[in-house]
Amino acid sequence: MLIHRLNEDSIEFADIEPIEADLLRQIPVLCDVRGDSRAESRLFSNPADSGEVQFLTDWEEYVRPELRHIFVSARATVEKDLGTMVDRAGFPSRLVILCAHGEAWLNALNQARLILATKFEFSDEELSLHEVPRSFSRRDLVLLQINFYAAIQERIIDTLEGCTDADGRE
Amino acid sequence: MAETVVQHETKVEIGTPWNVVVHNDPVNLMSYVTMVFQKVFGYSKEKAQKHMLEVHHNGRSIVWTGVRERAELYVQQLHGYLLLATLEKSD
Repeated sequence: MLIHRLNEDSIEFADIEPIEADLLRQIPVLCDVRGDSRAESRLFSNPADSGEVQFLTDWEEYVRPELRHIFVSARATVEKDLGTMVDRAGFPSRLVILCAHGEAWLNALNQARLILATKFEFSDEELSLHEVPRSFSRRDLVLLQINFYAAIQERIIDTLEGCTDADGRE
Repeated sequence: MAETVVQHETKVEIGTPWNVVVHNDPVNLMSYVTMVFQKVFGYSKEKAQKHMLEVHHNGRSIVWTGVRERAELYVQQLHGYLLLATLEKSD
């Protein structure tokens, strides 16, 4: 798979192999944390220590719903973009997204990586490891998946540099 | 005759400054954290990278200090980018 700027407004994911397409399609599914309290607590981490009672109460009431909206919107944008992926049997797929959707992609990819890392309880050392695993257990494959999403994030950040924001800023 | 001097003291209460602290998280990429600091605080790439490296090496970085309301807003924005950020009273 190649990720590059197609033009001023768009980013192209070209030559997407079937396994890569499958991993991309998993992003919005993974972002759904309903019923997973550990993943929820990572996405909605504490903004202050417990002594800030009023602040934490207000945060729960007003900020948390806004954060949820940001996360759900990012997921929805990615899901909608993935719906436009061009598949042809026997050929790699192709996807074009707007630069303006880049942040939503970064957010959704981050959600997916954080959720996987929390679910599988990866340590800091494991997450920093860039060695080829000796075995291919489910856990090892999930770590590869996390790193695959990280690589996509890196490419999107690279391609976004120089993209014009929706409000016209560089 | 003794002269009485009346001193008027005007006390200006200056709010305690608050810190916005970002904590290390092995999942968030260094390039992503740098980009977020640039977007949220308008920092130059160099300044954003300096804070990102502080987070990476020291486990935390005070990325902004100032009035409480603004600090709260920054913490909220950082959480929107899924960074581990907290509000702390400045020493």
